[in-house]
Amino acid sequence: MRVLSDPKGYWADLTRSEQGVVAFIVAFAGLLLVGLLTGALAPTYFLYLVGLAGMYALLSFGLNSQWGFTGLINFSVAAFFGIGAYGTALMSASSSPIAGDLLPIVGLVVALVVAALLALAIGIPTLRLRADYLAIASLGLAEVVRLVVLNERQFTNGSAGVRGIPPFFEGFPVLADLPQMMPGLAIRPLPGTTIVLETPFWGALLNVVVVLGFVGVSYAVLRRAHRSPWGRVLRTIRSDEDLARALGKNTYGFKMQSFVLGSLIMALAGVFYAHLNLFVSPGDLDPVTTFYVWVAVILGGSGSNRGALFGGFVIVGIREGTRFLNEFAWIPIDVAPLRLLLIGVLIVVLMRYRPQGVLPPQRELIWPKVVDEAPDRPDSGVREAKVGGGDD
Amino acid sequence: MTDADATAADAAATDVAADQSKDDVVLRVEDLQKSFGALTATDHATFEVERGTITGLIGPNGAGKSTLFNLVSGFYEPDGGRVEVNGTEVTGMEPYEIADHGLIRTFQTPRKLEGMTVREAMLVGPRKQPGESFLNLFFRPGDVGEHEAANLADAERILEEFEIDHLATQPATKISGGQMKLVELARAMLAEPELLLLDEPAAGVNPTLRNKLAEQIRRLNEQGTTFLLIEHDMDFVMKLADPVIVLDQGSVLMEGTPQEVQTDERVIDAYLGGSP
Repeated sequence: MRVLSDPKGYWADLTRSEQGVVAFIVAFAGLLLVGLLTGALAPTYFLYLVGLAGMYALLSFGLNSQWGFTGLINFSVAAFFGIGAYGTALMSASSSPIAGDLLPIVGLVVALVVAALLALAIGIPTLRLRADYLAIASLGLAEVVRLVVLNERQFTNGSAGVRGIPPFFEGFPVLADLPQMMPGLAIRPLPGTTIVLETPFWGALLNVVVVLGFVGVSYAVLRRAHRSPWGRVLRTIRSDEDLARALGKNTYGFKMQSFVLGSLIMALAGVFYAHLNLFVSPGDLDPVTTFYVWVAVILGGSGSNRGALFGGFVIVGIREGTRFLNEFAWIPIDVAPLRLLLIGVLIVVLMRYRPQGVLPPQRELIWPKVVDEAPDRPDSGVREAKVGGGDD
Repeated sequence: MTDADATAADAAATDVAADQSKDDVVLRVEDLQKSFGALTATDHATFEVERGTITGLIGPNGAGKSTLFNLVSGFYEPDGGRVEVNGTEVTGMEPYEIADHGLIRTFQTPRKLEGMTVREAMLVGPRKQPGESFLNLFFRPGDVGEHEAANLADAERILEEFEIDHLATQPATKISGGQMKLVELARAMLAEPELLLLDEPAAGVNPTLRNKLAEQIRRLNEQGTTFLLIEHDMDFVMKLADPVIVLDQGSVLMEGTPQEVQTDERVIDAYLGGSP
C-alpha cells in the first residue's frame, strides 16, 4: 500500500479535508489505544463500540445512497433498521412467536426481502411525485412500522420485545463455538494493569468481524456504483431531475433502485444489531435513530461514502463519549442527557461554517482506469470546496 | 364544447397556417392543445419539421413556445392532438421514451450539475450506457469500462470541436453562462439526437459566444442533426433558421422563409399587439 511505501507522497496527494480527517482519526485512535492499554477502556466494551460504530456506518451508507446520491429524503431510516432487526429476530430467536430457532442466515435473507418489499411499496406511489412526498410518506411509514411492532403482539411480542436471539454465527461449523473454545488470556501491556480476555471478548470480536464484513462489502458496492454511469445518473437526478429526463433517463426507475439499495443496507444494519444486542424491542425503532443517521450523513458530507463512514463513527463517538463526561466531577450538571443538544449545536456550527460536510466527494467520479492522468490536485480535477450553498 | 371552442376548432381545421407539404418529416405536431385552467396555452397548434432543417420557432412573449416544447418533449401531457417523431406517435409518452425515438431537448436556463466537472457532466449525455444498469457494474465491469472510455473520448472530442476542451476538468458550476449553454449543446449531441429542440440557446450569451454558438449549430446541422429552436433574438434566428414558424396565442400564425416572416403584416401585428 502506498501509505506504507511512500507516506509523504500519499500525504501530499490528499486534499486538505482528507488530511484533516486522517489526522483526526490517527489522534483518536491514539487516544483509544491509551485507554485500552491503561485499562480505562475494557476491551470487550471497546469491541461493542466498534460494532455499534459499524452499525451506524451501515445506516449512513444506506441513507447516503438515497439522499447523498439521488437526493431522496427518507425519514424512515429507523423503520428499515427495525425491519432488519425484527426480521432476523423473529426468524432466529427462541422466544419468537412466529418462526424461531432458524439459522440467523435465514433471518438475514428474510429481513432483506421484507425490507426490499417495503421499500417498493412506499416507493411505487411516491417516487413519481415531487421529492417532498417521499419525505412525508416515509415520516408516516416510520411510525406505522413502530406501532405495528408495538401492537401486533401475536407476531412480535409487542413491548416485551424478542429475547433469545442467537449470535450471528449460530449453526456455522467452527465459528459458532469459537468464543467458548478460545482460552482465557491475561495480558499485562503496562506494569500494573492486567487485561483478561475471556469468552465475551471472543464473542465480541466475532461480532466485529461480522460488521466489518458487512461494512466492507457495502462500501465496495457503493464505491463502484458511485463512480459508474449509474451513479452519475443518480447525481444528475439530485441536481436536476428534469435534465436527466430530457437526456432520456428513466428517472423513476433509477430513483427506485437507489431507494431499494439504501433500504437494504439499512436493514443489514438492523440484522447486525439484533445479533449484537441479542434482544430487540420496539424502543429500537424510535425516530431518534433516523435523526442520528441524518446527522451522520450531513456531517460526513452528503454524497460521500467515506464521509458517511466517518459520520457514523463520529455519531457513536458522541453518543457513547458523552457517557464518560459524567466522570468529571467538576462539571456541575448531568451531561449525558444533553447529548441531543450537543449534536444539535454541532449541526448548527457545521451548517454555518462547512455546509458541505467534513468530507464531501473529493475527486472526479469516473469509472476507474478510464482516466489515466486523473487530475487530483485541487486546481484541476478536484472540485474546490464550495463557499456556502450546495451540500454535496 | 362551447361555441367559442367550436369556432376555434373550425378555424384550425380549415385554415392550417403551417406548410404541410414536406417530404421527410421528423416531427409532426397535429392539432395540439393544452390549457392551464382558463388559460389556453396551446390552441390547436399544427406544424411539421422537415429532416435536415434548422427550423425556427418565434412568437411574442406568452405565445406558448415553451409550453409547446414541453408538450412535444413529454414534460406536459397534452389535452388533445398528437405528436409524431419519426413517424411514431409519442403523444403522452414519458420524456425518456421520447428521447429513445431520437428527440432531445435543452432548457432555457442552463441546468447546473452540482459537484461534477464539465466532462463528468458531459458523460451524462450518452444514451443506453451499459454502465447505467446496476447489475452490469458487477457482472460486466469490462463492458462498462470500455463504453465509459469510448464515451469519455467522444466527450473530449466534442468539447474540442466546441473549442471548450480547456474547461473539461473545471467544476461544471463554475463556468460562465455562455459556456454552460455550449456545454449543454455539446452534451445533448452526445445523446445522438435526430431532432434537437433548443430553448433560447442564445439568451444571456455574449455576442462573440453567440456567433460561435450559431456556427456550431450550423456545423452540426450539416452533419445531419435537425434543429428546432425557440429564440427571441431575431437577428440570431433569421440568420440561422429556415423555415421560421410564427406562433401567436397558442397557435401557428404562419410559416415561411425569414424574408417572408419579416415582411408579413400579421407577424408585425402580433409582435406589436395590434391584432385583435
